[in-house]
Amino acid sequence: MINSEVKKNKIDSIIRACGILLRMNKARPDARKSERLYYQMLSNYFTRLLNARDEGKFVAAHTVFFPTEILYAMDIVPMHTETTTWMISLFTGECDDILSAGKELGLASEICTPHRGLAGAFASGVLPRPDVMLWSNLICDNTAKSGELLMEINHCPGFFLDHPFQHSEDEMQYLVGELDDMIHFLEEQSGQKMDWDRLAETVALIDRQIELFREICDLRKATPSPFHSQGFLELLTIDYLFPGQPEAIDYLETLRQELAEKVSVGQGAVSDERFRLMSFFIPPMYLMGFLERISQEFGAVSVTEPFFTYWGEGRLDPGRPLESVAEKSYMIPEMRMYGPLDDRALKSIVGCAEQYKIDGAVYYADIGCRHSCAMVKLFKDILNDIDVPVLTLDCDVVDPTITSEEEMREKLERFFELLEER
Amino acid sequence: MFDRFREVNSTFPRTVQILEHKRQGKLVFGWLCTYVPEEIIHAAGALPIRITGHREETELEDGSAYLHVNNCSFSRSCLQMGLRGEYDFLDGVVGGSTCDGARRLFDLWRHYVKTPFHHVLTIPRKYTPEAHALYYHQVVRFKEHLEQFLGIQLTDEKLHQSIDTFNKARALLKSLYELRKSDNPKITGAETMEVLNASFHMPKELFNEYLKDLLHDLSGSVNTHKGQARLMVTGSVLTNPELIKCIEDQGALVVTDELCTSTRYWSDPVVLDGEVTLLQAISRRYLNNFPCARMFPSDERFNRILGLARDFRVDGVISQIIRYCVPYAHDLPLLTERLKAQGIPTLALDVEYGTSGSGQIQTRVQAFLEMLEAKKR
Repeated sequence: MINSEVKKNKIDSIIRACGILLRMNKARPDARKSERLYYQMLSNYFTRLLNARDEGKFVAAHTVFFPTEILYAMDIVPMHTETTTWMISLFTGECDDILSAGKELGLASEICTPHRGLAGAFASGVLPRPDVMLWSNLICDNTAKSGELLMEINHCPGFFLDHPFQHSEDEMQYLVGELDDMIHFLEEQSGQKMDWDRLAETVALIDRQIELFREICDLRKATPSPFHSQGFLELLTIDYLFPGQPEAIDYLETLRQELAEKVSVGQGAVSDERFRLMSFFIPPMYLMGFLERISQEFGAVSVTEPFFTYWGEGRLDPGRPLESVAEKSYMIPEMRMYGPLDDRALKSIVGCAEQYKIDGAVYYADIGCRHSCAMVKLFKDILNDIDVPVLTLDCDVVDPTITSEEEMREKLERFFELLEER
Repeated sequence: MFDRFREVNSTFPRTVQILEHKRQGKLVFGWLCTYVPEEIIHAAGALPIRITGHREETELEDGSAYLHVNNCSFSRSCLQMGLRGEYDFLDGVVGGSTCDGARRLFDLWRHYVKTPFHHVLTIPRKYTPEAHALYYHQVVRFKEHLEQFLGIQLTDEKLHQSIDTFNKARALLKSLYELRKSDNPKITGAETMEVLNASFHMPKELFNEYLKDLLHDLSGSVNTHKGQARLMVTGSVLTNPELIKCIEDQGALVVTDELCTSTRYWSDPVVLDGEVTLLQAISRRYLNNFPCARMFPSDERFNRILGLARDFRVDGVISQIIRYCVPYAHDLPLLTERLKAQGIPTLALDVEYGTSGSGQIQTRVQAFLEMLEAKKR
């Protein structure tokens, strides 16, 4: 059960793929500049991670929805474990090997593929051994429970950040205390001090980043909608990997400008926009190209993704950096999957559907994600109440054996026919 | 000896006691997880009962339609019973943010079953002083919400009485478990489960009377049980004694267990040491109690399991994990290693909630027992 790193890790496969994507982008005259910036940022992120050990940098592996801004402010190199694992899987086609390695550790097949794969990726040396492991219960039991096994596999210390379920003053105070404890832990382990001025600057940039996310989302309300269906994955990757980083601001400002220009001339993401969709959860990564083609073919555009792009209200205060980091964790769109599904949360989904004038919703029911699947019926009901049909697509975000392109095409075609009839 | 307990369980949730309680105009509150402090509900004059699912493995058409098939069958089974009106007598439902299944079960229950009162507590996953402070505030808020709903003031005197009643039940259950430590216990694992199920399905005062009588009867009994191996059952929520019986029918004796419906339900009392308030004592007990797999660090749970294995002289462990019960599934590789280091083999069973034990389970248990037998030689 030990990450012996006998084999070379596979981070370079992402860097190579980003290089190819960059060259392809440059070869297309109509390619987005923001897309170019995006691939360059990814390439830089993984190059930094690849070279970290040689450069004597301290590496912290962390699970999804983790406050990476803390790591940047401490000059610690972050390794977003889910993104890194599944980008490697996507670019090397080694999904089966990674999942098998997780199974060999004794992890049951009911544990979602992203987290079963994490353990497999570390155990098989696909991911490099970090100096520390950080994880939290944001967003599910899988994130909450994955860290201890990863610590054992990597023979490294770790810190579990306990994120409260609800949002009261007591819970905020607890979360700020947790963040403070984590900083002490990181200072002890890395020998590097928290740079509070840098954290305050980072928080100021995150605040700007969130404003830009909101402005971009506002532009997507236009008819026709200017951003392509799978583009939201860029937005969430920006938040996952680059919170409060200047290059993220550059990317978002560029994208906003590009979308604003398209809106001003009435140019949509597809040549003939016929269906405006709301998307729930993440489509299968290995079908991205196919789904983009379907989007063009049927004039169906995802205009909003409540779990990933629809940010909560509020502003951050650089004068209170730690409190702001805590507050941000309640503003992220993903909080809708974690927190209580009370009337307020349900009304926000309905409000989102109305603001974006959606014709239908597509729910990617990831077989491993209990959280999101448990909401399928509830969201169907509340959206049906405002006359919005919902298509549920059973799938897995990374495992291609669960659903096929043909199956998905058939269901989507039928759904679009239904929308057309209405 | 066990008929009274069996009767409660076989008629639950519409037991004579619950129906009588309602007939008298009193309130019944359902709770969804062992991190919900029952004493608060009891002190408010309501009857706290644990919401459990169908007694046996059942088709879960409604449960799966509302909660999706990839949520554990316990949550789906509970929800199905709620949706079908089997808990329509409840005046309140109280949940905790313990696991994904429990949280979503509470959300859907609130939306579709529409029990008049509902409250969910944030349950920290740590044992730090800050986590204790947060949980304490959660308990205070729960108490205030309940007071507001019922229009009452919850007095210290009432709380004290409730703590006494619940501690008495815990002490009696401990006495019952002590019997299981002997070479030839007077009670089987399946019989014990009948007692445990009744403990959270009926008024505690009456349960305490029943259990006192049982302990008295057992002390005078000459009947004993012996198995070719002494086993501990760990893992997900389990209420069907038939599964334990199925294991014991293969020749083993289940002598202890680590389940939220067994040892983890009753093991720690509320300690009143005079230095803390009653609410602090209650909240301290619930957060420090024998932990669920959700808590961090997991070694707290593992060490308690190893302690049980020593105290009850366990030869092997059967880990029964309901499909999609993620906290326990994640812990399994680590727990198996720790048990192995102590020379205790583990059999891992994937089950659905309510299972009575299939032919495949029987075969796997038989093979496990043969392995344990060979190990002894």
